[in-house]
This record gives sequence, structure tokens and C-alpha cells, in this order.
Amino acid sequence: MHKQRTNALVRFYHKLGSPPSFYRISGYFLKWLLLLAIGLTTWGLYDGLVLAPADYQQGDSFRIIYVHVPAAWMSMFIYAVMGVCGVIALIWRMKIAEAVMLASAPIGAWFTVIALVTGSLWGKPMWGTWWEWDARMTSELILLFLYIGIMATYSAFSEDTRKAARMAALIAIVGVFNVVIIHYSVQWWSSIHQGSTVSLTGKQNITWDMLRPLLFMAFATKFYYGYSMLKRARIYLLETESNKRWVQDIIMEKKS
Amino acid sequence: MKPFLALVKRDLTLGLRRKSQIYQPLVFQLLVVTMFPLGLGSGARTLALIAPAVIWILALLASLLTLDQIFKNDYDDGSVESYVLTSYPLPLSVLAKILSHWLLSGLPLVLFSPIIGVLLHLPSSSYGVLMLSLLIGTPIFSFMGSIGSALTMSLKHGGLLLTILVMPLLTPVLIFGASAVVEISLGNSASQPLLLLSGLLILSITLIPFAAAAAIKINLE
Amino acid sequence: MFKPVSFDLAFGQSLLISGPNGIGKTTVLESIAGLRDLQSGGFSFKDSNLDKNKDIWFESSLYIGHKTGNKKELNCLENLRSFLQIQGIDVSETQAEVALEQVGLAGFEYQMAGSLSAGQKKRLALARLLLASFPIWILDEPFVNLDIAGCAWLLAVLENHLNNKGILIITAHDNKTIKKAVTQEIILEPVEI
Repeated sequence: MHKQRTNALVRFYHKLGSPPSFYRISGYFLKWLLLLAIGLTTWGLYDGLVLAPADYQQGDSFRIIYVHVPAAWMSMFIYAVMGVCGVIALIWRMKIAEAVMLASAPIGAWFTVIALVTGSLWGKPMWGTWWEWDARMTSELILLFLYIGIMATYSAFSEDTRKAARMAALIAIVGVFNVVIIHYSVQWWSSIHQGSTVSLTGKQNITWDMLRPLLFMAFATKFYYGYSMLKRARIYLLETESNKRWVQDIIMEKKS
Repeated sequence: MKPFLALVKRDLTLGLRRKSQIYQPLVFQLLVVTMFPLGLGSGARTLALIAPAVIWILALLASLLTLDQIFKNDYDDGSVESYVLTSYPLPLSVLAKILSHWLLSGLPLVLFSPIIGVLLHLPSSSYGVLMLSLLIGTPIFSFMGSIGSALTMSLKHGGLLLTILVMPLLTPVLIFGASAVVEISLGNSASQPLLLLSGLLILSITLIPFAAAAAIKINLE
Repeated sequence: MFKPVSFDLAFGQSLLISGPNGIGKTTVLESIAGLRDLQSGGFSFKDSNLDKNKDIWFESSLYIGHKTGNKKELNCLENLRSFLQIQGIDVSETQAEVALEQVGLAGFEYQMAGSLSAGQKKRLALARLLLASFPIWILDEPFVNLDIAGCAWLLAVLENHLNNKGILIITAHDNKTIKKAVTQEIILEPVEI
């Protein structure tokens, strides 16, 4: 009995880690992820832009947090995912981990850009300037540089995709350490310089009606990330395993 | 002779013969520092205000000039194999390379900094902290640079990529280093940023050599 | 890409890896030297698997690749000595001078390696073989750039090494003399796509 159970676990691990299984299994989820993403985004935006009460200090301009905050959360969440994948890819050389990491990078970068742009748009009515160097925005900008660094590393090693992926994984791991240090150093810097600016997400008492759309958007972005990442990861696997049997089989299936 | 010392000795000999690694950053600093009074006006008060930050930024930019040389030459002529294909731990050899780089490029920056300080009217009370902060900070430049150099050593045009990778790593160093000099010039204590800077240095010594060693191994695959 | 290969070598034996240009002879040699990890298959030396720990292999073997590893701003003596010192082998000036004489570089001791000809650079690298007692020599196209006298000298050195129970693994273009001298030969064949 015990032997059967461990065998099943080992088999499950191997199944998950093999590109053909990953490709097949992820294919089932794509449709649902997209539907959930679209559905939750639509509801979340409606809830946040229409249903939620206006803030008594900022009026309607605060509503941009329903895009800004989820985007910022995703920019950090995706980076953490990339860090974990980087470790798995580097130590255990799992192709899937490489695929997920590289697929996530552009998505995370875009979320970072959205967070920066929406943060800037929010800042204009708040402080009157298009940009302020407060702790969060500065950290977010540096995070964008880290994303660019990973993508630039991957594309620099254009002749050898295996080497490119491993280098990118190393940079992702170094970056995770760096993100922590940057977060604390920028916070320290911001505190001693005591800028006249108020932090973007200052302490406000947030009511359930204001919080609810935020949660919807948080889930919506996660599903969107799942959809987009799996899509890109599948393409990466097809490209890098193009000489393997399972890819040839899929191409034959599509043709017939 | 221990491999560590042999590697340092070799690199110092090379550096003293090439000399460019030593004087390039200094010449760069002189050229660029001239632009500040030319751009801002020679008012002593303005210059004194920006001096701490500018000296640190100049040190950072000057370091960027020589960072790729930590490993690029060794990769190009194949001598990197001498410290990879040996039972002597690669992270230790990396440490030797970083030490040599700092002695040739970083230490001169520290010793040259008072001259830049004079040119920018840095308050006289700040010179001690200036040199101390650079003494702790410039080795961290070399450490962070070693990762970038190890990664880009096989690339023909790796300069921009090295800068993209290294800048986020150097940001905390700049924050703490410049703050130390700013604080002392305002008459406050610089001990907190200096301690934080030292913490970064210790963290670098313990972790960075392994990352750079990994980058070298991946590059040689 | 080439078809899978395998080999067994005992002390005193030699292996030649040959094949058409561009097939990956250098890649195979670099994998044997320990610069690259094997994509598939295994490698063991003296009954211990080299996947995890290559230290005993590094201590027993010397690899000389295409890039000779000489620094152009160091002179011949310094190049020879520092290369081996970095590997933990102490070499005195006298020992290095003797080695330089044996490879035909007498008088070039204080000449910068950057000003040497290709053949001289090769000989400077090969001088390392004479100074350290590595049982296993892994050489990538060692005869390239050597003149007739140089080739004859190298052949004698290699034969001497094998007679002293050393192991030799080399790549070379088709050369009847070399083929006759080695124990085994592996010819890399391309995989039909």
C-alpha cells in the first residue's frame, strides 16, 4: 500500500514536470482562466468605478486605485514567482520552471508600467505633479529596471536558449535579494528626507464598499496572469522543444 | 603560494602595466565634475549643497567604466580556465579578482575624492566621512560589478547590459553612501548610514562570490 | 549534434577524437575537461562519479584549449608561473626557465606574450605540461600552429607521457602520424535530422 502511494506521488511529480504533460494540462485551463479574468475585471471595474462611494477627500479621482493597486500587487507577486521559478530552473533544471519564469517577465513588466502610469495619474490631482519620488513609486521604478534586466539578459544570449534561460534565472534570484534590500533602503531614504509628499496609499479608513472592488480586481489580475503566462509558456515550450517527438505530434494533430 | 595570492599578484601586475584601469576613472571624474560649475554657475553655496551627492554619483559612474574588465579579459584569452578547472573553490578566486579590481580602480577613487571635494566646495568637516563612506562603498561597487562582469564576459557588446544589471544593485549603496556625507555636511551624525553601508559590504562579501561563480560556470557551458 | 559516444581509458592509453569540422570536437573535449556539464550520460574517474564533485578530476588533469590562456601583458616566465600557481602548483623561476628552454623559447623569458607568434604562444602553453605532473592531459588540437620541428618535439613528449603511464585525450584533424600513435579513436558522426 505504502509503495503504491509513493509511486503515485513520484509519477505525479514527473508528469507535472514534463513539457508534454504541462502543455496538455494547461490547455484545459486556458479557456476558464480567460473567462474568469474577463468576468471579474468587468464586475470589479463596474463595482469600483460606479458602485463604490466617492471618497470625501479625493472625490472620484481615487478610483484609479482599482487599477493601480492590483497592478502594483501583481508586479511584486509575479517577481516573487519568477524568483521561485529561477531557483527551481537553476538547481533542478526543470524546463517548465524556465518556461513559467520567462513567460512571466513581460507580463510583470507591463503590470509595473501600469502601476507607474496609474500612480502618476493619481498623483496629479493629489500633489499637482506628474511624478513624485516617494518610497513606493521609486521602488516600483527600480522594479521595472529589474524586469528589464531579466528580459535583456535573456535576449543577449540569443544563440543558446538554454544558457540564456539559466542566466536569466540567476539574475532573477539575485534580483529577489535586491528587491528586499532596495525596499528597505528606499524606505529609509524616504523617511530621512521627510519629503513634503503624502504617501500615495496613506492611512485611510477603508470601508467594505471600497475594499470589495479591490479584491475583485486582485483576483481578476491573477486569473489574467495565469491565462497570459500559460499561453506564453506553452509557446516557449513548443519553440524550445521543437525537435522533440511530442511537438511534432501536436503539429500533425493540428494539421489534420 | 596560495592560489588566491597568486591571482591577486597576477592581476595587480597586469593592472599596473595597463594603467588604464587606474587612471580612466579619475580622468572621467575630472572631466565630468567640471561640468557642474559650468552648468550650475560657480556659486560656492550651490556647489557645496550638491557636493556630497555629486561626488558619490561620480564615483559610481566612474566605477562603471572598469567593471567589465573584471572577467572579460580572462574570458577572451582563456585564462579564466586556470581558476575554473581547479579544485580551489571558484568563489575564492572570484574574491581574489574582486579584491584586485578594487585595489586598482576603487582605492584610487577613495584617495582622489578630496580633490573632487575641493573642486565642489565640500565643507571641510565632511572629508573624513566622505573618504570613509567611499572606502566602504567602492568595494561594494566591485562586488556588484563582478556579477555583471561574469555574466557579460562572453558577450561582444555587453556594456549596456552590464549597466542595466548593476544599477539596481548599486542603488542602495548610493543611498547610504551619499546620505552619510549629506548628513555630516549638515552637522548631523553619519553613523547610521555608515553602519548600513558596512552591513551591505558584509552581505556582499558572503553572498556575491557565489553568484558570480555561478554566472561564470553558466557562461562556460 | 553527433551520435552518442562512449569510451574507457586505462593509464598509459590515449584517445583521439576526430570528425568533420564544426561537429563539436571541442565541445566534447570541454565536457571531458569539466568546463561543461554533460547533457546526457555519465562520467566517472577512479570509480567515483564526476557529476557532483569534479575536484579529483581537476587535480589529476590539465586542459589546454584553443585559447591558450596566456596574458599578453605578462612575459613568458610570468605567464608560465602564474598560470600554475593559480592552480596551486609552485613553480620556481629556474624550473620555468628550464621548461621554456625545452619548448624552444629560450631567450624569450622576458618577452611579453602579446608579441609572440601563434606557434610560440602554443609552445608557451604546452610548457605547462613539462612543469606539473598531471597524469591526464586533455589537449585541443595541440599540433596546430607548430612547425615540423615543433610537431616532432610534441609527439615525443606525448609518447613519453604515455610511457610514464599517463593518459592522453586529444582532438586533431586527420593526421596519419597521430592516428598511429594513439590507442583508441572516436570519430564523431553527424546525426541525420
